[in-house]
Amino acid sequence: MPPAEILIEGLTQSCIYMTMAFGMVLVFSILGILNWTHGQLFMLGAFIVFYSTTAAGIPFPIGILLAGLVMAGIGILIKKFIIDRIKGELYIGVATLALIFALEGAASLLFTSDDRGLAIILPGVLNLGVVAISYQKMAVIIFTLIVMTAMYFVLNHTKVGLAIRAVAQQPVAASLYGISTERLSLIVMGIGCALAAMAGAIMAPLYPINPFIGRTPMIMALLAIVIGGLGSLTGAIVGGLILGFLHSVIAYYISYLSEVVLFGLIILILLVRPQGLFGASAK
Amino acid sequence: MRYFFKTIHLIDYKNIVPKTVIGLFIILILLIPVFTRNVVTLSTLIMTGIWAVAAMGFTLVLRTGQFSLGQSAFMALGGYASAILTAQMGLPFWPSFLVSGLVSGLIALLVGMVVLRVGGIYFSIITLALGEIVRIIALQWEPLTRGSRGIIASAPPPIILGGHELVNFNASLAPYFYFMICLVAVTGLVFWRIGESRLGRTFAGTALNPVLAEHQGIYLMKYRVIAFTVAGVFTGYAGALYTHFLQVITPMVFGLWQSIQIMIMSIVGGIGSLVGGPIVGSILLYNLGEYLSRLDTPGLQSFLFGSVVVIVVMFLPQGAGLVNLWERFWNKVVWREEEYEPDEPED
Repeated sequence: MPPAEILIEGLTQSCIYMTMAFGMVLVFSILGILNWTHGQLFMLGAFIVFYSTTAAGIPFPIGILLAGLVMAGIGILIKKFIIDRIKGELYIGVATLALIFALEGAASLLFTSDDRGLAIILPGVLNLGVVAISYQKMAVIIFTLIVMTAMYFVLNHTKVGLAIRAVAQQPVAASLYGISTERLSLIVMGIGCALAAMAGAIMAPLYPINPFIGRTPMIMALLAIVIGGLGSLTGAIVGGLILGFLHSVIAYYISYLSEVVLFGLIILILLVRPQGLFGASAK
Repeated sequence: MRYFFKTIHLIDYKNIVPKTVIGLFIILILLIPVFTRNVVTLSTLIMTGIWAVAAMGFTLVLRTGQFSLGQSAFMALGGYASAILTAQMGLPFWPSFLVSGLVSGLIALLVGMVVLRVGGIYFSIITLALGEIVRIIALQWEPLTRGSRGIIASAPPPIILGGHELVNFNASLAPYFYFMICLVAVTGLVFWRIGESRLGRTFAGTALNPVLAEHQGIYLMKYRVIAFTVAGVFTGYAGALYTHFLQVITPMVFGLWQSIQIMIMSIVGGIGSLVGGPIVGSILLYNLGEYLSRLDTPGLQSFLFGSVVVIVVMFLPQGAGLVNLWERFWNKVVWREEEYEPDEPED
């Protein structure tokens, strides 16, 4: 049994992967495309919160919301001006993959590619006897819980959520009932991008920030989606949890080849259950 | 994934460009090292050819409807196989070069037999993971791969015929250039023949309508594995040539970002043709990247590269790569025909 700190670290990472994967699956279920730039929105979210707390002196929680809002706007712009103008899933995929380069390049131009660190906002450690949790990590976990609860509420108890679920199930029938698929997809894109940016923002005090931090979370979120089953929101959450824990625990036992073992396990899961743990059907 | 392929039409070059023009063009390409000895020009051309071969491999896999995000892993496998055989084990160059592609193809076969069962987006993400696995193993298996220090691979030995040296790889870049031309030509020929043959039509069929193809008695997985393996073999050769051209291979050279570049080259070039599209794409995009890398400001290069690709994808006509634009230009401007609509292949 690995020490409890490793598990806490795993939980923190799971929270990030979960939030990212949730946003990606949400976008996928409505738009039918994977947004490959999610990791870069994560990175930009971290930068926004960094500059808003250090340069502008905005409090950290408001900085997180600001990051979410700004990146939701950018996500909607991407949807409106790039994705909508391209036909064919393949070409949209290429465009969003190319946007990775464009956004990373823009970030290195604006912020330079040096590492920077945001000072810990919530210093101190909660000592529970067997395990000590720093307040900053607790903030990440609590924030994720709040976001997930909010998303659960929005999806299940509001009109927008009802519309989102309807469009995800039957786009044609939903639009026959007077739901504007166009507007809904913009809203969903905004929500998805905001989730990624807020995940980046809440992580900002824990890890160094540079223009390339988005790559690993994006790959991990993709793998979480695959484990959970593409198109399943529960699957994204469970996949994120599994991945975060496995990553930390395996790295604790074998540091060098941990990622190889991790990927091997994922391939094994897919061979046993090709549609993912919560996927509806194989094709 | 299958509805990417609704708009694909195979280009019949025979009707578009007269044979003499093609012949003259090939002779001109072959004469490039005679006209210029500029190291920068030649090395850019050699690298373009190497990426073109990799992009062709990607296009072949895409032809079966599978979207591989790990093609650069096979370049790394080929490169490492060749480097380990020559530098670490002291085997002669030519046999190791031949073996390198086979090693990469064998691994593609094994991985494909396991992974292609799932197909679709799962295949993309597993190949992405495969790329990372290869990179991490190369980084960590110190005794064999020398970890992050990389392996120094020597240049191919001079070819001696009848007592005097015929080709010396250390003297100039021209031998590498012809080596690259041979590789591109062999790959192009093999892929072109595959594309024209029953096998190629079966590939396209499995992508266009997997269910119908299966009902016609086509065992989907067999054809997917064949395409993946053939692509793996030639991508491995490209990686081996890359290694012996730069004379070093490190785990940093081939990663996810190289795979994405291969993919962008192939798709922007045009996936309608197995040979022309990847070549056009790699010529334009590799040189664009190379030109941009001369800019000193960090970040500007990838920003401009990404933006240019996004803009190109936005303004390309639907379902057509750059190679189809050439076709349209030829037909509308040069021949002054009405819009040329090639027949859909009937199979």
